[in-house]
Amino acid sequence: MADDADWRRFQQVAMPHLDAAYNLALWLTRNADDAQDVVQEALLRAMRYMGGLRLESARPWLLQVVRHTCYSWLKENRPAEQVLLDDPEDAWRDLAASSANEPPAIAIRKADRQQINDAIAALPVPYREVFVLREMEDLSYNEIARIAEIPIGTVMSRLARARGLMRTALTPGGRPVLRTVARSAQGGMST
Amino acid sequence: MMTTGEAWKIDAFVDGELDLAGQLEIEQRLEHDETLRQRIESLRALRETVREKADRHAAPARLHERMTAMLGAARREAPAPRRAAKSSPPGWTQTLDQWLAWRPLVASTAFVTLLAVALNVAVLQSSKQDRLMNEAVASHVRSTVGQHLVDVASSDQHTVKPFLSQRLGFSPPVHELQLPGSVFLGGRLDYFDGRPVAALVYRQGEHVVNSFVWPDSGASDSAPEFASARGFRVAHWSQGGMRHCVISDVNRKEFQDVVNAVRSSATAG
Repeated sequence: MADDADWRRFQQVAMPHLDAAYNLALWLTRNADDAQDVVQEALLRAMRYMGGLRLESARPWLLQVVRHTCYSWLKENRPAEQVLLDDPEDAWRDLAASSANEPPAIAIRKADRQQINDAIAALPVPYREVFVLREMEDLSYNEIARIAEIPIGTVMSRLARARGLMRTALTPGGRPVLRTVARSAQGGMST
Repeated sequence: MMTTGEAWKIDAFVDGELDLAGQLEIEQRLEHDETLRQRIESLRALRETVREKADRHAAPARLHERMTAMLGAARREAPAPRRAAKSSPPGWTQTLDQWLAWRPLVASTAFVTLLAVALNVAVLQSSKQDRLMNEAVASHVRSTVGQHLVDVASSDQHTVKPFLSQRLGFSPPVHELQLPGSVFLGGRLDYFDGRPVAALVYRQGEHVVNSFVWPDSGASDSAPEFASARGFRVAHWSQGGMRHCVISDVNRKEFQDVVNAVRSSATAG
């Protein structure tokens, strides 16, 4: 069914988004080799569904397949990662408690590369994916909702939660909630 | 204390994802709400710091290679015509592969070239028409606003025709129009479309009609094409090896009659 022109089209449309695909895969798997495997697997899958491929929406489309593939991979290799530690408590309250002496904006700007990367890596997967898609890939709420296959309201709540956790992690005296997550993530990475 | 629902709103505000009403509401509250201002400030700080410092991983070269190889392999496996090539000697396969790889490029290049040529011809054609029209209008306006409507003022076609023929190097058909209200004013030498042309001038009621004629050998007779430009009506056609272009500011119906009269007079020889 797929002919020469289809492959060429796939190459033209999908390959420019290889970086975005790899970035998402790496942030979700947190391992360079696994990320490469996942991207390769995702592109193989994507080729099978080339019918859904449109030039203007190639990036969200491809990222959706990558995300799917990541989740399959996580299910097999990191079953613990998928558990969403949904804390009903408002993230802002964490911040209010911890920012007595310094405005959070200043503390956040002081954070170095390592701290930022660690804080993102420590986010639970469902928060991490919306955070990466928003802050690194600059995707709209709508596109993120499509990629993560969740309602737009869920995108908003997860994004707010992810940012709350980030702020807490980057503000001195932040709650230990995040450190617990980080430790379990460390354990996951060593497997 | 801010509720969770409002926290999303603030995120959406910073992300520019709120509707206009929501956006304005937050902006208004910002003016006197210091806590809100600080929260937005910290959201912006987070966004900018992440964009500046977080690792956005680029696909390694090895992944690029793997993907290209995989796509190549998939292409070789899938389509049917490729199978015939597979059983052929390697050199032949390679040649065929190269040809197949290049064929769409060649075809598309040829197509694009053809399209460009066709477009150019169309544009040239239309620009030629436009130029002709502009020159006809300009010449007509010059003749009516200046003192130079005719070179030879005569209602006698036997005076006008030799005058024009001697000076032009061709002999235009010169006739009075068989049309009520039409007066033959005479002839004029003019120059447009890059050549000398004969202008036959008529008065139709209160309006001046210029009828330009020049040789157009090789052109077969064609039906008049009507157009209007800057308030003037223009018609042009080929007839008896001559190109005709009639212009006036009479109304549509009268213009049609004038054009018909010019055509039938030209047929009369």
